[in-house]
Amino acid sequence: MHRILIVEDDNEIGGWTERFLQQKGYDVEWRTSGDGLVEAAASKSLVLLDVMLPGLDGFTLGQRLKKEHPLLPIMMLSARTAIDDKLQGLQFADDYVTKPFHPDELAARIEVLLRRHEHNEPELISLQHLHIYPHQNRVVDQRTGEDIILTGKQHHIFAYMLRHANQILTKEQLYEGVWGEPYINGDKTLMVHIRYLREKIELDPSRPALIETIRGIGYRVKR
Amino acid sequence: MRPQVHWRQSLRARYLLIIICALALWIIVFPLMAILMQISQSFTGNTEANPYASHEQLEKHWHDTAAKLGQASPQQITKRLTQLKSEYPKASMFWVDGSGLTRDMLPVQTQLPQQWTAVDSISFMKKSYDRDPFTIVSFIGKQPKNGFIVMQVPRELLGNTFNNSYNYNWLLLVQVTIYILFVMISWQFFKRIRNRLVRLEEAMSLTDPNGIPHTLQVVREDEIGQVEHAFNRMINDLRTSRQREQEEEQLRKKLIANLSHDIRTPLTTIRAHAHSLKEEPLSAQGVSSIMLMDTKINDLGHLVDNLLSYTLLAAKRYTLQLQPVDIVRLVRESAANWYPVLEQEKFDIEIDLPDNAILWSIDPQWMKRILDNLIQNVVRHAASGHYIGIQVLDSAHQARIVIIDKGPGMQHSTDTKGSGIGMSIVTVMLQDMGLVATVRTGEYGTAIEITPHLLNKI
Repeated sequence: MHRILIVEDDNEIGGWTERFLQQKGYDVEWRTSGDGLVEAAASKSLVLLDVMLPGLDGFTLGQRLKKEHPLLPIMMLSARTAIDDKLQGLQFADDYVTKPFHPDELAARIEVLLRRHEHNEPELISLQHLHIYPHQNRVVDQRTGEDIILTGKQHHIFAYMLRHANQILTKEQLYEGVWGEPYINGDKTLMVHIRYLREKIELDPSRPALIETIRGIGYRVKR
Repeated sequence: MRPQVHWRQSLRARYLLIIICALALWIIVFPLMAILMQISQSFTGNTEANPYASHEQLEKHWHDTAAKLGQASPQQITKRLTQLKSEYPKASMFWVDGSGLTRDMLPVQTQLPQQWTAVDSISFMKKSYDRDPFTIVSFIGKQPKNGFIVMQVPRELLGNTFNNSYNYNWLLLVQVTIYILFVMISWQFFKRIRNRLVRLEEAMSLTDPNGIPHTLQVVREDEIGQVEHAFNRMINDLRTSRQREQEEEQLRKKLIANLSHDIRTPLTTIRAHAHSLKEEPLSAQGVSSIMLMDTKINDLGHLVDNLLSYTLLAAKRYTLQLQPVDIVRLVRESAANWYPVLEQEKFDIEIDLPDNAILWSIDPQWMKRILDNLIQNVVRHAASGHYIGIQVLDSAHQARIVIIDKGPGMQHSTDTKGSGIGMSIVTVMLQDMGLVATVRTGEYGTAIEITPHLLNKI
């Protein structure tokens, strides 16, 4: 079970958020100030940090926290919406949510952040007719039980898309995420790879259902 | 209050000094020159008085001599002439006796007739009258029958104590020198004033990062010095007021940030509780009320956001970092971010982006924010059209970003007040980046086109 630490000085927001996240099935600890934060955060999977706090402000606390626990995801929760504030926050924080946040949005973002920082990816991802074993780089067609053999690049692309499931990836993001070098305009490599990938994993490659094309923008894998 | 310029240090005084010196030179220099001349003449060795100087004296002396020789024998006359010749060595002399015979030419002159006739006499007189040499003819003993004595003196020896033309050149030279000196001093005087004015002008146009010129070091306490002092006072006033303005700005920024925080915090609580309410058993009416609350909370949040941004923008307190940005990529990423929302609102989404990169010199953060504002406006005010078109058109001469909806048009969007401020922010931000938005709106939709100003081309 994921353990979330909330640092929020406003009683109503703090109390409500604690209950809300508990309902979502998280183990939640709520603190009203940054005292002893670094120690308390040690055993947590995520920290929700307000910016305007009594004593040290959220930016300072967050930076300190990140230094001590570099792998711990931090989500800033702030009424400060100026771009400068956001940029300052995002220098160390993993996400920046502005108040009044929508509860469902908050829950979704927490989920995304936790998944991104998941150290042990799930053994098995089940997606339509596929069984995917991320650790073994294996993709199995569950109807036949046969392995689908993908090339290295095809694996990379598919894994990247799965890691960013439900997110629309532009071709630039996808290319740079997989190849690790800047996308050059007009480069068709990615499209060619995706076409071959689809031929292997889609039931009907001419009407792809797994890797969705968002016309003009990019691709999306829904989970 | 204006301090007085000390008279001795003033430009007026210095100018007057130059003028007075010039006038004084004219008055003093001529007598001075004459004296100098005389002195220099006496120093060059010509100490004896010129015996030929006065032609009246010469004439008188000659006539007297002639009168006294009335009873003299030719030998005596010869003797007297020889004596006179030694007195006036540069003069020529001769005499003619009663019979018209030329005697004792000192020195010998060949052009003179040996035996004078009446015609000779007349022609000699005619030739000598008012010519060079200066000729004096005198009858011996005042009796024409005794003959006459003649003295001839070169005219250059007559009249002046020293050399006339030589003196004149000298004087001209001095005059010209004085002229040039005067012009040069005046020129220098004005050149210095001009240089200081130019320096002042340069100091005024050179500004520090706050846009305020530096203060000047006042070297001279004259009229320009006073201008410099006044300029320094003005700069100090400007600095103080700029500082006050900055403090006020800081205060206002803080106030708005606090206000924003204080509004957002209860809004968050309201929304949270509205969300909790949704979990309770509610009538259809209740559910739609909560939905409405939710929307309004959103709008209020955005309004506060925009208000803050606008205040900062209007006061130019945003840092703008222009850099070449591929707008195609930027628009694509914005569209990707908004896609889920648009999908949820059941929009028909049409994205049309070129394959090539198009570079604009913009701040990517700002541009993202502008696109967010514009797309958000479509979601909020034009959802009824269920259509959004996001395009980057790359025509030969100018690229543009176009966002189209099929909503009721801007005049009809009365449902959410305060949407104007979002558009104002977009306008100000675009303007600061050298871009311009053209809005075409009607009953059947709105198209917003963003193009660079003619000047913002990479």
